[in-house]
Amino acid sequence: MESSSRAAAEFDYLFKLLMIGDSGVGKSSLLLSFTSDAFEELSPTIGVDFKVKHVTLGGKKLKLAIWDTAGQERFRTLTSSYYRGAQGIIMVYDVTRRDTFTNLSDIWAKEIDLYSTNQDCIKMLVGNKVDKESERVVSKKEGIDFAREYGCLFIECSAKTRVNVEQCFEELVLKILETPGLLAEGSAGVKKNIFKQKPPESSDASSSCC
Amino acid sequence: MKSANNSKSILEDDGEEEEFEHFDDFTLASSWERFISGIEAVCRQWLADGPKNLLVKDAVPVNHLKDLYKVKSEFTYAMKSYCLEYYFATVDDGKIPDWDHTLHDLQLSFGVIAPQSASGVVLDAPESSKLLSAVAIALSNCSCLWPAFVPVHDPSRKSYIGIQNMGTVFTRRFEADRIGSQVPVKLMHLEGLYELFVSKFAYTAVDWSMNHFEVHFKMKLTYRTPIYDDEDEIHDPDADITGSSENPEGEIHGKTQWDDDLPWSKWYSAEDPVKGFELHAIWSEIIAESSLDMAELENASPIEADKWFLCPCLSQHLDISDGSAIGFASQLHLLVKALEMSSEAKFIEDFVSGSETLKSSAVVPPPTVLDRVLKDLFHEVMEAETGSSPAEHKSSRSIKGAPLESLFAQFCLHALWFGNCSIRAIAVLWIEFVREVRWCWEESQQLPRMPANGPIDLSTCLINQKLHMLAVCIDKKYREAEGHTVGADESETTQEDLQIPRDISASHGVSKEGSGRKNDGNDAAGVAESMMLLKSRKIMHAPITQDPPPMTEDMHEERLKAAEALGDSFSFSAQLEKEILASDMSAFKAANPDAVFEDFIRWHSPRDWENDGNEEIGVSKSSVWPPRGKLSERMSDPGNSWRKIWNEAPAVPASEQKPLWDPNREGEKVLHYLETLRPCQLLEQMIFTAFRAAADTLNQTSFGDMKQMTIKMEQLYLTIASMLKYLHAQNTTSDIELLEDLKRLCTTFEHIENLILLAASLHGKFLQSPYLAQAIFSDCYNFYLPNMGTSSADAQVDTKREFNEKQEIKARDRDLILSMFTPPTANQSWRKVLSMGNLLNGHEPILREIIFSKRDRVSGSYYAASSPKLYQQDIETYRMYVSGTSNDLGVALAVASFD
Repeated sequence: MESSSRAAAEFDYLFKLLMIGDSGVGKSSLLLSFTSDAFEELSPTIGVDFKVKHVTLGGKKLKLAIWDTAGQERFRTLTSSYYRGAQGIIMVYDVTRRDTFTNLSDIWAKEIDLYSTNQDCIKMLVGNKVDKESERVVSKKEGIDFAREYGCLFIECSAKTRVNVEQCFEELVLKILETPGLLAEGSAGVKKNIFKQKPPESSDASSSCC
Repeated sequence: MKSANNSKSILEDDGEEEEFEHFDDFTLASSWERFISGIEAVCRQWLADGPKNLLVKDAVPVNHLKDLYKVKSEFTYAMKSYCLEYYFATVDDGKIPDWDHTLHDLQLSFGVIAPQSASGVVLDAPESSKLLSAVAIALSNCSCLWPAFVPVHDPSRKSYIGIQNMGTVFTRRFEADRIGSQVPVKLMHLEGLYELFVSKFAYTAVDWSMNHFEVHFKMKLTYRTPIYDDEDEIHDPDADITGSSENPEGEIHGKTQWDDDLPWSKWYSAEDPVKGFELHAIWSEIIAESSLDMAELENASPIEADKWFLCPCLSQHLDISDGSAIGFASQLHLLVKALEMSSEAKFIEDFVSGSETLKSSAVVPPPTVLDRVLKDLFHEVMEAETGSSPAEHKSSRSIKGAPLESLFAQFCLHALWFGNCSIRAIAVLWIEFVREVRWCWEESQQLPRMPANGPIDLSTCLINQKLHMLAVCIDKKYREAEGHTVGADESETTQEDLQIPRDISASHGVSKEGSGRKNDGNDAAGVAESMMLLKSRKIMHAPITQDPPPMTEDMHEERLKAAEALGDSFSFSAQLEKEILASDMSAFKAANPDAVFEDFIRWHSPRDWENDGNEEIGVSKSSVWPPRGKLSERMSDPGNSWRKIWNEAPAVPASEQKPLWDPNREGEKVLHYLETLRPCQLLEQMIFTAFRAAADTLNQTSFGDMKQMTIKMEQLYLTIASMLKYLHAQNTTSDIELLEDLKRLCTTFEHIENLILLAASLHGKFLQSPYLAQAIFSDCYNFYLPNMGTSSADAQVDTKREFNEKQEIKARDRDLILSMFTPPTANQSWRKVLSMGNLLNGHEPILREIIFSKRDRVSGSYYAASSPKLYQQDIETYRMYVSGTSNDLGVALAVASFD
């Protein structure tokens, strides 16, 4: 990302995160809960919303640019462009509504495959609204199973009670910090010489061709 | 005379130390004795050191031969300098395989490991005998069993004499010579050679004609496939220098090239990396008793041989980048150089009208060539070529270039071959390219090779995004010009191409041919489900809505910056999205005049409408009216921005609304971008696209199921992608390290390109036996791989090694190999007189190697009396190695005897 190198002074890394999921699962609430410690009934997002939050994690100053998309079908073509360059994608569902969960695999996972330009990007599955435990229809185990199958992180949280909200974003960001490819992308203009390092190909070749 | 080198002094020093450990007579009288003692000292040293220490000291590997090393030392005797070399192997298992290329020719000739020779000068016979005696005395003084060899005569005769003390009373003598021309007729044939061998131990002429001797016989015949097309090698140097004409258009020779069907042939014609094959047919261990047996063997077909081995003859530059090979890699290298120069001017035009030095250094092809390129780019587009290619590699998208079949990718590929890809030629081509694009825009002609719809793929380079945007603008402009008389017609057409947003109605399975079309206009695309409006007993119509504006990555970037600027103000909701929502609402109102806000929500955001009772969304409820339910909590919030927008939205059908975006304005912006693009920006994107398109082109090559190649391709994509990531930075051209990396990337690319060529060539030649192609390819791959992927400088080190891995051919594949030896045409066969037997489809072997050997049972009595054990074993008493053709014959004889 070009913008990262320009504002090098303020932060070590800039990460772009994207939130997707059906309308009404609480994406915007989750984001608001994370960025301003508040919870309120929000108007449905029109198209896309955007927040910036500075955090310090693992000794690194991080700038998180979080894009919050609208879940309505009508906006889907428009939001597809926000997948570009995202290092982390948060897939949100509502534990009290099964269809929001099944749509993640039926619709949203496919959208990621189609539009994400970043092969290494970290995906995270978030089950929201655990405060309504009595209305829960998607069990935690189902969530874990899906996450395992799809190879992503998993957490359940509540934007309302703020349970696990911080952890949700932190865990995602820590994972990005552990992924060298993503780290290089987000870093503020540091480049490494891939030829000076041991070229990755030789090790791959020897291990995989026989 | 050879000059002494460092090793000499070291060895001599060591030698002196050595002398104190033994008793030595220093009262050496003659220079001859001193010479012998000198040799002896060195031999003792070598013996004492053993291979391991010698390796550490100063042994050098012998070229071509693996596991064989040599050390040498020099001596002066009688005003002449001699050189003593000691050859040794690191792995000495005592077993000598026959026919092994890893052997020194002395080993081949005599079947003895560790030959030692004094060489370096031309010796006549008496002098060599004297030398040999000296060495033999020295060796026996150190009771060493090494054989010693001394060259005789002209080196080209490969003539040696040699002697080996075998530790007993046996001594083995060696003798080798070669006849370079005019071989006696007798020795052209096996019979004659057999008789020559027999004559060595049967002492009288009578003897051997009468008696039969049991002679062990081995033979190896080497055949080479006929050269495919010698004449095709004629190269047109002009074509390469100007990069002009011939290459893109295909061959002017009219002859078929081996790579005509392969994907790169549109751009260049490569030399076939596989020049041909050598077939080794081996007869192992035959016992011949008379020259009649030999005559029979002479006529035997190689098909009867015990074993067949196949060895490809590869062209030399597989692992060496000497810069002479023309291919994608060489052109990409030129493109990188152009990138390096691109920062020298601010505008692309400057390179065209630039300084004289630039003009003279870079040739621009004549206008006819330019015209042809533009014609190919813009006019000769096959239907199938539009849109992205079907066989795109899965990692291709990770390189931020244009898709292979797109307009800009084709431009880049042409640029690679246009005027040798100099910055000046690129500038000329680009200016004409943009001019042509502008013409399409002005004339509302559809841009070739670009889709006129669909979302813009942000994983491609910006120029491609811009061209896509322009194509969409042209399409929209064209439609607007065509469709002044807005009517049902227009809604039909737009309906079709705005698939995605319209799917809302389509997905509910309602066709617009139904009762949907209202009398008051064309503003409805169809009936939305079987939904009824809340406040009136009317069917809800899904409106035709406006397309969301296409956006390129720089437009997104602007929005991102705007959003960041507003970041703290808590709620950024994009203006554009609000406009789209308002437009949808207006269209909905126009289609459904009686609709209320709740109706819109039921259509647009069904989740925000909560039905009472058990009714699920999507279940037909036309029977119940009015449907009962309420807006979701968040939608019914008093400050809800959706309702605010709804209240403000006028009822206007999409066709009459103010357009969400203006194709005239956006299109003009695209052209402005293209026309004012800075040279380094252009070159940067060309690098991305050219690498991607070149890799995509190579990736279309069919090389069968060669796993290594598939992996290599994958790695190539990933390497390119990860390497080019850093090219985004502003100061690319001043970053020397980055430019160096790019050049290394070209080298990597070249290696893989060469491998692809090899794989494709082998695949094409072994279509019936793909596993054979795979096996040969694996051999080559393993042989060349260590040198690949490193920089070109490193690759120089070990270039002298020759590829000689052989593949054993199973019986079922012999026919296939046989078919490669096409019988010579009448034209070819008169050229040479066939003089050897063992023809393979009319081809005579290029090399015949034979080993005769005679074994005698020896008993202890032959040994010195001191030998306690009684040996009962066969030893090779006579051995003759014959190698050559009918007019170039080398013979080496080893005779063991006891004195």
